[in-house]
Amino acid sequence: MNQSTPSPSSHRPMPVQVLPDGAARKRLRRWRGFKDSAAKYSVGAFGMGVILALALIFIYLFSEVLPMLRPAAMTVYTSYEAPGGRSADTVHMAMDRHELVGVRYTTDRQAVFFDVGDGSERYRETLPLPADATVTTFGLAEPRTRLVIFGLDNGQALLVRHDFNERFSPDGRQYDPTLEFPLGEGDATLMNVAEDGASIAAIAVQRGSTGTSVAAALEDGRMRLLRFEERSNFMTGAVTVRQQAYDIPALPDNAQPRRILLDITMRNLLVGDDQGRLHYYDVSRPAQAQWVESKRVTLRRDAQVQSMEYLLGTVSVIVGGSDGTVSQWMLVRDEDNVNRLVSVRHFDSHSGPVMGIAPEYLRKGFATFDDRGEIKLHYSTTARTLVSLDTGERPLSRVHLAPRASALFAIDDNEQVHLVSVRNPHPEVSVRALWSKIWYEGRSQPEYIWQSSSATDEFEPKFSLVPLTLGTLKAAFYAMLFATPLAILGAVYSAYFMSPRLRQVVKPSIEIMEAVPTVILGFLAGLWFAPFVESHLPAVFSILFLMPLALIVAGFVWMRLLPEALSNRIPAGWEAALLVPVVILVGWFAVGMSPHLENWFFAGDMRQWLTDVGYTYDQRNSLVVGVAMGFAVIPTIYSISEDAVFNVPKHLTQGALALGATPWQTVTRVVLLTASPGIFSAVMIGFGRAVGETMIVLMATGNSPVMNFNIFEGMRTLSANIAVEMPEAAVGGTHYRILFLAALVLFVITFLLNTVGEVVRQRLRRRYGSL
Amino acid sequence: MNEPSETQRAQSVGAQTLRENSRRAQSMGDEKISLSLRDLQLFYGTDRALNGIDLDIPEKRVTAFIGPSGCGKSTLLRCLNRMNDLIDGCRVQGQILLDGEDIYHHSVDVAELRRRVGMVFQKPNPFPKSIYENVAFGLRLQGVNSRRVLDEVVEASLQRAALWDEVKDRLQESAFSLSGGQQQRLVIARAIAIEPEVILLDEPASALDPISTLKIEELINELKDKYTIVIVTHNMQQAARVSDYTAFMYMGDLVEYGDTDTIFTNPKQIQTEDYITGRYG
Repeated sequence: MNQSTPSPSSHRPMPVQVLPDGAARKRLRRWRGFKDSAAKYSVGAFGMGVILALALIFIYLFSEVLPMLRPAAMTVYTSYEAPGGRSADTVHMAMDRHELVGVRYTTDRQAVFFDVGDGSERYRETLPLPADATVTTFGLAEPRTRLVIFGLDNGQALLVRHDFNERFSPDGRQYDPTLEFPLGEGDATLMNVAEDGASIAAIAVQRGSTGTSVAAALEDGRMRLLRFEERSNFMTGAVTVRQQAYDIPALPDNAQPRRILLDITMRNLLVGDDQGRLHYYDVSRPAQAQWVESKRVTLRRDAQVQSMEYLLGTVSVIVGGSDGTVSQWMLVRDEDNVNRLVSVRHFDSHSGPVMGIAPEYLRKGFATFDDRGEIKLHYSTTARTLVSLDTGERPLSRVHLAPRASALFAIDDNEQVHLVSVRNPHPEVSVRALWSKIWYEGRSQPEYIWQSSSATDEFEPKFSLVPLTLGTLKAAFYAMLFATPLAILGAVYSAYFMSPRLRQVVKPSIEIMEAVPTVILGFLAGLWFAPFVESHLPAVFSILFLMPLALIVAGFVWMRLLPEALSNRIPAGWEAALLVPVVILVGWFAVGMSPHLENWFFAGDMRQWLTDVGYTYDQRNSLVVGVAMGFAVIPTIYSISEDAVFNVPKHLTQGALALGATPWQTVTRVVLLTASPGIFSAVMIGFGRAVGETMIVLMATGNSPVMNFNIFEGMRTLSANIAVEMPEAAVGGTHYRILFLAALVLFVITFLLNTVGEVVRQRLRRRYGSL
Repeated sequence: MNEPSETQRAQSVGAQTLRENSRRAQSMGDEKISLSLRDLQLFYGTDRALNGIDLDIPEKRVTAFIGPSGCGKSTLLRCLNRMNDLIDGCRVQGQILLDGEDIYHHSVDVAELRRRVGMVFQKPNPFPKSIYENVAFGLRLQGVNSRRVLDEVVEASLQRAALWDEVKDRLQESAFSLSGGQQQRLVIARAIAIEPEVILLDEPASALDPISTLKIEELINELKDKYTIVIVTHNMQQAARVSDYTAFMYMGDLVEYGDTDTIFTNPKQIQTEDYITGRYG
């Protein structure tokens, strides 16, 4: 252009040799080649490293989850002649929690303590039973109480508790096994169930804090309930036992009792009969004990109840029929608040009569066995039959699970003891238990519940991941509902309409919000924003309507009503700055009007009004989380979509404008379309962030694992759940591993979101990609 | 703002000459004038890019703006449909009359002005839509959504743009599947679909191969019986081939304007002659 003044340098003579000589150039070439390949391989190595790290995380999570997926197993460890000899039949067997010492009660009134490993006898005690009486039946209280009751053919019964008395000495673990008689020594040990000496056909016992109850069915069909109330004299400490006996109405239809059970509350009596039915008696007032209802529990009409046992906690009962059916029953209160017998689930049937049921000590599992030597291990919550074992063709007479359920005794009719080792560390988990509705104990219907721990040992853990996954999606949904429109519209405005100078300030300011620690956002949300929202609910909703309205009105006033001389003072692209006072004013107005609105429309308290209308209102709710987590997500979405909109080629927008498009038409028809891959991936990344966010939901949601999308209730997310419960989960336990599974689910969700996001983005880019 | 313009004008070739030039252009025939520029000045911030241009652009003729890089010919072209409004700090003084109305008057709807004065850019800029939707875009902006009308106009426009035969079987394919020359003709079809009065072409063939260039030039020739065409070009042969009138610009001034044959064979100004004969540029 400036051709008249040639640059003075062009007349300077060229140096003779500009480039270095050949050898130097060769060296340089080699050095450049080395740098080039070093860069290439190190970039490749780091890239692979990232993928490897991700893969390792996945593998680690999976390795912690894997043990839950391994099936249970039972193997016969050893087999020996029943300790104490084959001459008498076994009534009951048990072992201590270390599976070292066992006890065998026999029909010839012996209690034989022995080594579990080889069956060698250690100690023997004779039960104080009359010599002329024979044991006709026996019953177990909850296994962990070690209480056993023997029913005799003379109408008497004996309550015994064995104690292994484990102690530690320099030589290792020592045992001084003894028998105890909870009702007292001497004459008191034997109780008279039937004064007339009728033989006892079935007997049950439970012992609670106030005393002991014994329920028995006699050979002739009569049923008796005995209560032993223990009172200790607070002066002397002496315990006096007061016995009361009640008659229970007979079974309907002339049915004969086969098994009888009493629950731990001593209010409910269950009787299984010879017609395959289960009967429920309300014995909360024993003097007015009444029959409530009967239900058929066997599949075949001619079958009878062969065995019946409570699971841990005595809430649900397992009934085994002579036709091999195994089913679980519970008392569930109906609309009239009356307990009803409900069949909860069925388990795999045996091919022969279910001879007995052995409940676990500490979990809701149990073993069943039949007259063909087969043992099946079940778990009630998951409704699964985990494993079965064939011990031989001989009928089994007793099976007893060890306290920690890692071994069991099985005694066949030839008095041969099989010691079976059981590997079943995680029976509580199944796909159904994690993802389907489960009918938990004490509930009136199947539900999705997450409740991993409780104060009591009898508690049934509820490991449904559905409320957590739903909570995660709920939190993310409300956060996205708040963040997406704001972030995308803000991005479009600042990329397309805002003046460059203002944009230089606005964009970094929003992006720096990303750096705010989420714990601070959660802290503010939980401790300041949640109470504020609660006390200013009308403000929240009036802002929702007033703010857009006010912005539109302000725009109209500015463009149309004000004299042009004034509106031209503000250069194009700075209009957003004018809205700042409008926003502040509207916010102040809404907050100021809030109490008045409450008085006028909501009887002074909107929260109460919502409750009356039927919405549950939690202070820390989805609204609060949506806003707080929205703030965390906005910078992510804003930043990426702003770049996407800003990078729409100018020639496309100019092309649209040159065709007579208004700026708004250009935005909606060209800019958004072309930027759609970027905006889409911004939303997906934001969603992924919202799904994985922990601190905000942890601090601002209340962490209640609810199953709804109510904006006024909180939620518990997968991530917050891991943070809350991981410290209290026993390492290697089912709960611990399920938390890892939750992490894996979270990982998979975010992985899927990102993958789907990336695939869609690539397709969009192929279609609408910028040139 | 006015002060530098005075001094600059004094340094430049001279307002007097310019007035004469434009008057001469008018006198060169009894053409109907479509656009007339009156003392048009344009500032980028405080820098003046156009120094008072007076120019009459005749209707249904091809007018070419030529000149070395940075002379302001593209800037001038973009004034004609107010595309310069998009540039921050750009300010225009003077008048541009389209059919006697000042297009810079505040009551003018810029979007409507741009519908009347269409523009085709140097680089083909089809939208990321189908061929059909590209042509229909302008009509849809105007609220035309009737399938029948759109079908008709799309076909007519593509035929006028000499593209119909090449694309009629693949109207729903992406516009990006076309070659560069086809894309440029598609963009022209898109521009004429909304029945503009003036079409501005900003170096429309500079990114194309010779064959595509030829097709564009033929197209320009055909279009001029219906539209007023203003073309900016670097290529003097192209200006000579396609235009009826030529304006030579240099450093923000209109140096010479007149009948294309006259400008190329018998330029009045020495600068014009130097440029045309290739002494600089």
